Amino acid sequence: MRRKASLILLAFAVFFTALSPLMRWYAFARLAKIPPDEYQTVVLEAKNATLIDYGTMRDKKVSKLSVVQTLSGDVEASNKIEKSAGRDVVVWKALSYIVGPDGKMVSEIPETYIFDAHSQAPVHATGESVDGDPVRREGIEFKWPFLTQKRDYEYFDARARITRPIHYKGTRTFHGLKVYDFEQTIPWTRVPFPKKLPVKGITAASLARTGTQMWYTTVRTFLVDPVTGAPVYGEERHKEEMRGGTLVGDGKKITAFAGDVTMRPDYVKSTVALVKSQRTLVLLLTSYLPWGFLGLGLVLLALSLWLEARGRRPGEPEGAPERAPQPAGV
Amino acid sequence: MRALIAAAAGLAAALALVLTITAVGAPAGGKAPPKPLLTTVPEHP
Repeated sequence: MRRKASLILLAFAVFFTALSPLMRWYAFARLAKIPPDEYQTVVLEAKNATLIDYGTMRDKKVSKLSVVQTLSGDVEASNKIEKSAGRDVVVWKALSYIVGPDGKMVSEIPETYIFDAHSQAPVHATGESVDGDPVRREGIEFKWPFLTQKRDYEYFDARARITRPIHYKGTRTFHGLKVYDFEQTIPWTRVPFPKKLPVKGITAASLARTGTQMWYTTVRTFLVDPVTGAPVYGEERHKEEMRGGTLVGDGKKITAFAGDVTMRPDYVKSTVALVKSQRTLVLLLTSYLPWGFLGLGLVLLALSLWLEARGRRPGEPEGAPERAPQPAGV
Repeated sequence: MRALIAAAAGLAAALALVLTITAVGAPAGGKAPPKPLLTTVPEHP
């Protein structure tokens, strides 16, 4: 009976011990993915910013500028692309809507971002765009991969439509979370005018005809939860200038926008709460279950060996036939 | 020999379970969220 029990315990010990690495290195990579129907908003603010007045073509100080950023999963589009790509794909429709202190639109930049649901690597498909222009993204955008590493990543800058490294700067604690600090610098780069501008009659095309150019530079910082790869905080030191042409004057420039854009505190709080709930699920597959299974497997193995040792008589070889009943002496 | 068979059974069961779970996969997402892309500043998250 003990022998049978020890064999059953051994089977369970191997079962749980094998489950540990299988869960961590096989199942996790296939199960952890961004859902295609994600919907998220975040509000960023730039206080005491400088903004161009397109009516007078002069820059002015404004008390506050808000950037409302929405991400919305397009399930139909992702299903369609998944069929041809043969893998899990997420399509995010994103909108960065910039609102002035008077509540009126300053500019808006829509984006369509298509990426692998597991690795967050970009997927190139029809519809990938920034402000209506087709683009071919390289690197990540908005979110880091699950189990983010302490290294530099390639990050896509939607304003300049270029990919540049975003550097790992260190680890710190933010609202009780251990986060990785990443920083990217985009040097002064010529960028297209936004398609939608706040003044009627002024369009990107009409501005371009004057020979005036738009230039942009930014230093962006993200604090990223390394478990989920989700940024919990972001800020940008952002500058845009209009240079030259008949509108500004040869060799002259006007600040179109300058400000330190930071996440609104209530959105920081809600983002941290969301990430804290999601990271438990990831930790379950990468840490809690694998270590738990391994521990359980070892305990069961020890129990099985103990039972086996107790079941054996000293000097009896393994698998020896049980003693036949002896006839009673007369 | 019986110990080997028991260990193999445990290993096979673990492989079968993990392969089944990953084949079924994570629950698929539903329809596209009905909420619009925002063009006003929300009061709160």
